[in-house]
Amino acid sequence: MEKRNARLTYSLIVIVSLLTVAPVIMLVIGSFSNNLHSFGNFTLKKYAAVYTDPMLIDILGDTAAFVLGSALFATVLAIFLAYLNNRTDIPFKFLFKIVSVMPMMIPHVLFAVSWALLLNPTNGILNMWLTRLFALPKAPFNIYTIPGMIVVEGLLDLPVAYLIISPAMGSFDATLEESSRVFKAGPLKTLFRITLPVLRPAIMASFILCVVRALASFAVPSVLGMPGRIYVLSTFIYRVVSMSLIADYGKAAAIGMSILVISISLIYVYRYYTRASDKFVTVSSRGFKPSVVELRKGRIPLFIIVLFISALLILLPVVVLFYTSLVPYVMVPGAKAFAAMSWDNWKTVIKDPISVRSLKNSLFLGIAGATVGSFLSVLVAYVIVKVKTKAAGVLESISFLSFSFPGIVIGIGFMWYFVRTPLYATIWALFFGYIATYLPYGIRPMTSAFIQIHGSLEESSLVCGASFTTTLRRIVLPLLVPGFVSAWILLATMFFRELSISVVLSRPGTETLAVQILRFSEDGQWGKLSALGLIMIFVSTAMVLAVNALGAYFKPGAVREKKRVGIKPKLKAAV
Amino acid sequence: MNMKKVLLILGVLLATATMLFSAGQADKAVETGPSKVSMYANITAIEPILERYKAESGVEVEYTRLSTARYVSTILTEVEAKKLVADVVQGPLPVLEILREYGVLSNYKAKAMEGYPDWAKKDGIHLFGIEYVGLIYNTDLVSAAEAPKSYMDLTDPKWKGHIVMPDPGAHATTITWLVGLRENVFKSDAEWYRFLEGLAKNEPMLVASFSPTANPLASGEKKIGVSMPKYIVTKAPAPLDYAKISPMLGSPRAIAITKDAPHRKDAEAFLEFWLGKSAASQLANDVGEYVLAPGVYPPIPGIAETEVIPIRELSDEEIQKWGTEFGKIFALK
Amino acid sequence: MEINIRGLKKYYQSEGKVIKALDGVDLTIEANKIFTLLGPSGCGKTTLLRCIVGLETPDEGEIRIGETIVWSKEKGLYVPPEKRELGMVFQTYAIWPHMNVFNNVAYPLQNMKLPKEEIADRVAKTLKFVQLEGFENRPSTRLSGGQQQRVALARALVAEPKVILFDEPLSNLDAKLREETRKELRVFLTELQITAVYVTHDRVEALALSDMIGVMNKGKIVELGTPRKIYFDADHRFVADFIGRSNLIPAKLLRQEKLHTIVETPIGEIACHKRTFEQDAELVLCLRPEFINTEKPSDEHTNRVTGIIRQMTFVGEVYEADVRIGDETVLVKLDPETTLVEGDELTLSMKPDHCLLVSR
Repeated sequence: MEKRNARLTYSLIVIVSLLTVAPVIMLVIGSFSNNLHSFGNFTLKKYAAVYTDPMLIDILGDTAAFVLGSALFATVLAIFLAYLNNRTDIPFKFLFKIVSVMPMMIPHVLFAVSWALLLNPTNGILNMWLTRLFALPKAPFNIYTIPGMIVVEGLLDLPVAYLIISPAMGSFDATLEESSRVFKAGPLKTLFRITLPVLRPAIMASFILCVVRALASFAVPSVLGMPGRIYVLSTFIYRVVSMSLIADYGKAAAIGMSILVISISLIYVYRYYTRASDKFVTVSSRGFKPSVVELRKGRIPLFIIVLFISALLILLPVVVLFYTSLVPYVMVPGAKAFAAMSWDNWKTVIKDPISVRSLKNSLFLGIAGATVGSFLSVLVAYVIVKVKTKAAGVLESISFLSFSFPGIVIGIGFMWYFVRTPLYATIWALFFGYIATYLPYGIRPMTSAFIQIHGSLEESSLVCGASFTTTLRRIVLPLLVPGFVSAWILLATMFFRELSISVVLSRPGTETLAVQILRFSEDGQWGKLSALGLIMIFVSTAMVLAVNALGAYFKPGAVREKKRVGIKPKLKAAV
Repeated sequence: MNMKKVLLILGVLLATATMLFSAGQADKAVETGPSKVSMYANITAIEPILERYKAESGVEVEYTRLSTARYVSTILTEVEAKKLVADVVQGPLPVLEILREYGVLSNYKAKAMEGYPDWAKKDGIHLFGIEYVGLIYNTDLVSAAEAPKSYMDLTDPKWKGHIVMPDPGAHATTITWLVGLRENVFKSDAEWYRFLEGLAKNEPMLVASFSPTANPLASGEKKIGVSMPKYIVTKAPAPLDYAKISPMLGSPRAIAITKDAPHRKDAEAFLEFWLGKSAASQLANDVGEYVLAPGVYPPIPGIAETEVIPIRELSDEEIQKWGTEFGKIFALK
Repeated sequence: MEINIRGLKKYYQSEGKVIKALDGVDLTIEANKIFTLLGPSGCGKTTLLRCIVGLETPDEGEIRIGETIVWSKEKGLYVPPEKRELGMVFQTYAIWPHMNVFNNVAYPLQNMKLPKEEIADRVAKTLKFVQLEGFENRPSTRLSGGQQQRVALARALVAEPKVILFDEPLSNLDAKLREETRKELRVFLTELQITAVYVTHDRVEALALSDMIGVMNKGKIVELGTPRKIYFDADHRFVADFIGRSNLIPAKLLRQEKLHTIVETPIGEIACHKRTFEQDAELVLCLRPEFINTEKPSDEHTNRVTGIIRQMTFVGEVYEADVRIGDETVLVKLDPETTLVEGDELTLSMKPDHCLLVSR
């Protein structure tokens, strides 16, 4: 048993290292190299140059505020939505699935630009509307501020948080809560004293993942931060790179190293606080008891809040995109804009061979990449949760390696790495680059799901003569379905709109959607960009809905779903 | 333990994926004829020109877009790994000069350069246009009479809060442009500094590069900006025009053939086409580029009369020095 | 099938300390007997069981099941659990929540790749055996604790393994159900002619179920014997104490007689079950309350002492009384209908055979 686990651990370490450690090593070499490409004489010059920048202190402060703020915002919102969806009788639950994954499908730059159009202090559509409505002396909101950035980044990271917290919330052993209710704690007190603390691993995982993501995020800091002259580490990297015609990515890598150190330490902190994860085993063979908290009077107000969030997340950006896709250039809505509307942008995009090819490529990368990535994640998550040796800790950290680098930097790392392999300039470079970089998106939901499967469920399968793979196939995977679906969706939607790596590794023939969108944006063709962006959102929504349906079909206990009605009276008595 | 089976399943999945992918690529394989030219370029929106070239000559030009920030590092990485497939490279002049230093470029001299100004002909590097920068304003909000008549007019307090421009503390082309103003427009350092400080006092909204200046100008979020006149063409019918100030400055756009070009002959033919009048006209008319081909101008009223001059290229040290300096001047805090 | 364990060691590192879960276990479990590993929590019994099944790997030693060596450090052998052809009932039952009863039970047979009809046959037969006929399509989450336990048992038995292992399978059941299930289990296992290894910390369970008991403490098998031997005639004080309630009274060896060993204790001179000790050995006299006679003594009850009842507690089938003899307090059981009250004088008598001497 242990031998097998050790063998599995080490083979995974090798596989994951090939994916994630190699590009990072290239970056480390590059950051110490006295040359523009990765290999050259040793120098500390690059570190000296970036770490003595007088702006650095301010940047670090703003980075901390932005990163912690957005991670907190995303996690709290995710807990709120996941709780309402999984544990209460709030109406229209399907909304939650959509709300929570929607931002995954919108390219981040488009999302940020939409918000700039809505809330810029000069002529932001919402600002102008509010000013007129309440006769305000000046625009009430300014999106080009740290709070503005926090809200937008938080909304963008919400899916990550939700997809990690929701499965854990859904498979929570209700008796833990019921016993708290019996001991005179109200539903709210139970939530804060029992539910949330027991869900600590999932909540911490989500928070840390959001922190790491926000550290690496570029779209929001560049679109909303730079106009407000707020620099964070990722835009600082951009500054270092763009302050010269011959961009020195060694310097960028040197800054990236500190982000890497922060991320890796966070992961160790996370491991430390969840090391007793046995305590958190909440699904055993007796689990899957649904318990529903009745919201009573709170039902409608809470639903309205959710509706409002959905409107913010889905409706506004999509409507803004749809609007820009119809007008010839970005214009404030009005009679003039209405007169100029046409389907021209859509027609051009649908006929554009590169756009069509990029759609095909992204579909392939999204579906195949997410599938392979999810299976790899199952194995890695298994080792992280169930093996718990030092080597498993190493595996967990290295799986985060390329993920924790800012996109601009890691893309270059992959270029330096893949150029030495036959993968370079093929679609497989993107394929493996994606999996390597976004592996934590697969691993995180899977580990939270794994933590909740009692070890004896697998062990009994082994004793029953099932091989490791049979056990995985017949016991572990079916029980993991909710986690697997989350992971797949996170990976697929991420791959579908991936930009940072694609922009470096994509070549003629291997264009991806985001690269094509970037092209339109560089050409200033916002109409076409919005049209393609919407096509992208439609396709990935369809993809997510299909997988969700599949997941619901295979969900453990799904057979029983209909009979749940029979338990209801009992539950009422308990509440 | 049956890791083999797991790997087998993964292998099968990969194979399926490949099949899916190659099915998607089938049409592409048909497209790729026997002769093609690979072009790495930072200039945008040139696809129609390449399509026309294919229609006329049967040679497909494979266009790999590399942004300036990624240009040198990508090409040098590929050269080092002996995987550079580019036949033709197009980019800002200083970038191509670095590539020449690394011995990447051939010194092929195009015949089509006849009639181009002398300064456009450099050993193997052909300058064919200027990435010109100007003061662009929204015609719905600013009348031609109100538009600045000189660069210094931009320091007028009436523009306070209404300007957009790339971050002069970070964006190399903008840094070069500001230094270019000192060398070509302002008479003294004092006057130049007055301009810089006045501009900073007007609290311009700073963005990452030129391309994000266009939307705020078109939508009316900002009235005026340091931006590119070509947007007047590409964003039409957006209410944009440029302040007619002479001279306008810009960085030269350059093109060259690589030393080890895999399709040398086709590349030379393509370069001649690119520098020729018909391609240059298309570049000017469709993309709004300022080209050096004699007598060809973008369809912007008045541009033929405006003097557009190339800026001296700055060394990296200069860019960083001035970038830091401008960063201080434009710092809001 | 016989199980043979030689020199088994398993150490854990925990917060810098080494925990010896198994500290050199040598054990032979006879074929077709019910063998129980009994001991307090943390004594290593579950670890030993998991080593036999193959869910844990020992650090040293050898495990042989029948003729097959399933683990050997020296020979570098390791047979994974799925190849050991064992049955096991887990403490949590580990019924897979996403499968119905049929699939749970059929699982081991499906892994043997048997034809469908045979699987259906054997599952039906096994379910009948555990009295769960007609439960095939019941979702496993809709089973009571006792039913879950039977499904787990059916799953462990369905492949007709030669060895079946139980990890405290009754600890999740209520007292009454536990007693019933225990009896049933005994019947099932005797009927099946199967080697059963049973882990528990409950001495009643161990005594009632087993053909043979191994008492474990601190990673070692302390004593091995039949339930009667362990109960009446334990060699070790730990075992005597653990297997039942005992009055433990310090004793000093006086002399050895032909039939008895005579010791000096705070409650007087007592004739004990004959055992050899060194002269002047410090001993402990072990008196089980159930063998202290308070009625009219027969001729065999040769040990007699008198004390005063200090306290009486009614516990249903008996009164439990603390009787003060000199400075010692002895726990005895009184008839529930007794007329005695606290403060009364009482004569206690014991057969020498029920006076067990163990070294201190």
